[in-house]
Amino acid sequence: MSLDYLKKAVADGDTEKLIRYVRLHFGDGDEAAGAKEIDKAWIEALKLLLDVPETKREFILETLAEKDAATLAHLFFHLHFYFVRRSGEWIHDGEL
Amino acid sequence: MENFKETNQLRPGLWATVNERYPGAMITKSDFIPLAKLKKPLPESRLTFVSTAGVQPKNSLPFDTVHPVGDYTFRRVPSDSKPSDLEIHQLKYPTAGAKRDLNVIFPIERLQEFAKAKIIGGLTANFFSFIGYNMNAERLEQTLAEEIADAVEAEKPDAALLAPA
Repeated sequence: MSLDYLKKAVADGDTEKLIRYVRLHFGDGDEAAGAKEIDKAWIEALKLLLDVPETKREFILETLAEKDAATLAHLFFHLHFYFVRRSGEWIHDGEL
Repeated sequence: MENFKETNQLRPGLWATVNERYPGAMITKSDFIPLAKLKKPLPESRLTFVSTAGVQPKNSLPFDTVHPVGDYTFRRVPSDSKPSDLEIHQLKYPTAGAKRDLNVIFPIERLQEFAKAKIIGGLTANFFSFIGYNMNAERLEQTLAEEIADAVEAEKPDAALLAPA
């Protein structure tokens, strides 16, 4: 999808087009696979926290406070792939 | 495109498939730029290579395969590199074959052999690589394409091999 297509979807409030784009991105052109990838990332993140391990919450709060929203959005996409890869069910054969 | 013929494509119907999956992704241009003709015989021509395979020297900043709108940077790949000096950062095409033999997607050793055998006159010091996942066509054209063109031009090639991944 072109950037114009996405910006028009933002302007029109057409969230279905936007989330479809995200699913296609994560699923390499397969929307259903992309939706599954999103679920996989969240499940992996959840699993890591079930035992309530010690985490570096100061780092998280500092990062959220100090970094700009675009950098955090970029990080969000990185985290998606990080957790999918960590899950062991990597649908890609390429490297990040 | 005015002079575009679907039958000229190696994979007819590909564009319809792309457009179905990514509505609005099609880039159409009304202008047509013909291929330049060689000014020297191939054995006297210095060749450069431009690829969208996401191949890059090890330890260079990985291409951004994560960004939802793409990566608009390129890497110089020294033309005397060995495949073991290089790595691929790309998710949008299957890389298993290229990991076994990089030449299937980035034929650097074949080009080195052609130069050594004088089938081509030589190679530019660097080749050029980027990833093809770029959703902002305007930015691609106005920044990345221009920057690569300038970098290629600076190496004064007589011919360029362009290879999409």
